[in-house]
Amino acid sequence: MTEMQKKNEAYKKKIVVRNTAIVIGAAVVLILSFIISMNTGYTKITPLDTLRTLFGGGTEKENLILFDFRLPRIVISMLVGMGLALSGCIIQGISKNALADPGLLGINAGAGMMVILYVMFLGAQSFLSVFTLPFLALAGAGVTAIIIYALSYKKGEGIAPMRLILTGIAVQAGISALTTVLVVKLDETQYNFVATWQAGSIWGSNWKFVLALLPWLLLLIPYVLMKSRVLDVLNLGDDVAYSLGASVEKERRRLLAASVALAASCVAVSGSISFVGLIAPHLARRLVGPKHAILLPTCALTGAVLVSVADTIARVIVQPSEIPTGIMVAIIGAPYFLYLLGKSK
Amino acid sequence: MNSIATENLAIAYEDHLVVDDLDMQIPQGKITTIIGPNGCGKSTVLKAVGRILKPKNGMVYLNGDDITHLSTKEVAQKMAILPQSPQAPAGLTVGELVAYGRFPHQRGFGKLKPEDKKIIQWSLEVTKLTELETTAVDNLSGGQRQRVWIAMALAQQTDLILLDEPTTYLDLAYQLEVLELLYSLNREQGCTIVMVLHDLNLAARFADYMIAIRCGDIIKHGTPEEVMTTDVLKETFHIDAEIVTERRTGRPTCISYDLIPQAVDECDSCGRAC
Repeated sequence: MTEMQKKNEAYKKKIVVRNTAIVIGAAVVLILSFIISMNTGYTKITPLDTLRTLFGGGTEKENLILFDFRLPRIVISMLVGMGLALSGCIIQGISKNALADPGLLGINAGAGMMVILYVMFLGAQSFLSVFTLPFLALAGAGVTAIIIYALSYKKGEGIAPMRLILTGIAVQAGISALTTVLVVKLDETQYNFVATWQAGSIWGSNWKFVLALLPWLLLLIPYVLMKSRVLDVLNLGDDVAYSLGASVEKERRRLLAASVALAASCVAVSGSISFVGLIAPHLARRLVGPKHAILLPTCALTGAVLVSVADTIARVIVQPSEIPTGIMVAIIGAPYFLYLLGKSK
Repeated sequence: MNSIATENLAIAYEDHLVVDDLDMQIPQGKITTIIGPNGCGKSTVLKAVGRILKPKNGMVYLNGDDITHLSTKEVAQKMAILPQSPQAPAGLTVGELVAYGRFPHQRGFGKLKPEDKKIIQWSLEVTKLTELETTAVDNLSGGQRQRVWIAMALAQQTDLILLDEPTTYLDLAYQLEVLELLYSLNREQGCTIVMVLHDLNLAARFADYMIAIRCGDIIKHGTPEEVMTTDVLKETFHIDAEIVTERRTGRPTCISYDLIPQAVDECDSCGRAC
């Protein structure tokens, strides 16, 4: 090995150490935000009391507040953050467009439309059947994704990333318009439900929702992580990806499906939280660079931190009322995004 | 022996026929350059040969095998194709990009084995990029960047490399640098190289074999001396070219040319995507 190669090896080791430190750092921030979030809320419980309750020594009231109200909500916000961030990271990867996110592609809108149809025909009360909701959202998102895919598919050429984005924006606009028409026809309870859902309030704050969401993530996240090399190669552009032996169209379809399923299952329990799918991948990419093997886990952690912090703020900022988490994410995310735009050449 | 051959190849964009009934042979172990006017189907042919475009009709043979019968991964182990001005994701380092060349040889999570690392180091050395291994590709000059992509193709360890205008947007010195690199790969490693080139003189200077294409048809193929003639260039480019043998390289060179006005519209009648 030459002197230069040794130097390069040393540098590469340094990068690995740095990236590992960043992932651990992000995990620590996530745990901190978990602890702070557990302590925050309408009823004041001191950190010590929280700890005591967590380890099984709490009073009945403390148990109720922490285990039945706060904990499921925190868990959901973290899971949703992970799911949406990964979904956005995949879409940005396969479309080669840093501004793509599941919301932009109409996937959230499609899922939302389905939820509205459901509420319209079966009434706002029956949304208690938590476990059907992810399926419904998935159906809506899936149909939307298929429409977008079919419209941007050209025989012999497959999917051009730019066409995918433009079609996505158009379809999203169409669905939003249709949704507005439907919303007008809702009665008051239905309308309230839909409005809250659309604003992205993590309304399903009980364990059932965690259970409804968890299997999807347990299935999809490992699958996506396994595909990190394929995502890397797709990021080089279609022609290079072909040259390297990736089945470009097939892989893109699979990854798009995984991304849609991730977004849809999250959106089903959290409502339309946009911006996470856009910003978390950006943040993660700035932290660890474009290689998906490290980018995806970092992205998942960033997303979880973002949504759980936003949710914590959303719960306390206008007490005793609260603002929807989706809006809080946007309030945090928009300035950062403007900053990014300002910095880019 | 032919490394690549096409038979009755027809390629179309939607219903627009760009290439029809093309029979082409690429000799093994040689440098072949494809020349022709803009939009004449050069890149299209290269993409079809590299199985990026699906032909409408006909066959592409890779070392005698019908390319459609090989999996895309198998093809990637035998042939690398570099498109025109590829883009690297922001922040990716030279070493990371070159490592992607190992993709067709990896499985599962694809941790680089010692053998892979050796090949990557070798590719970096041959392209004189060892010093830049940890530099981000965005921070390189155009010529260095093109060398990085060639290094990636080298890491793929194929006997055959196709390149679509590898010298586009490069300064004169960088153009030569890239072509010299490809030349030495051919002479020292025995790589078969096929490239589309815009610059006729560079094409003639580095080629063992040239193919002149117009409207998806081969006008002439053969040695540079056979292809770089006033007649062939007249038919291919509709120019009146003055060809001399250049003293320093001993290759035919076009020193001056004029347009042939009456010939320019001829192409409209061919009905293809010229």
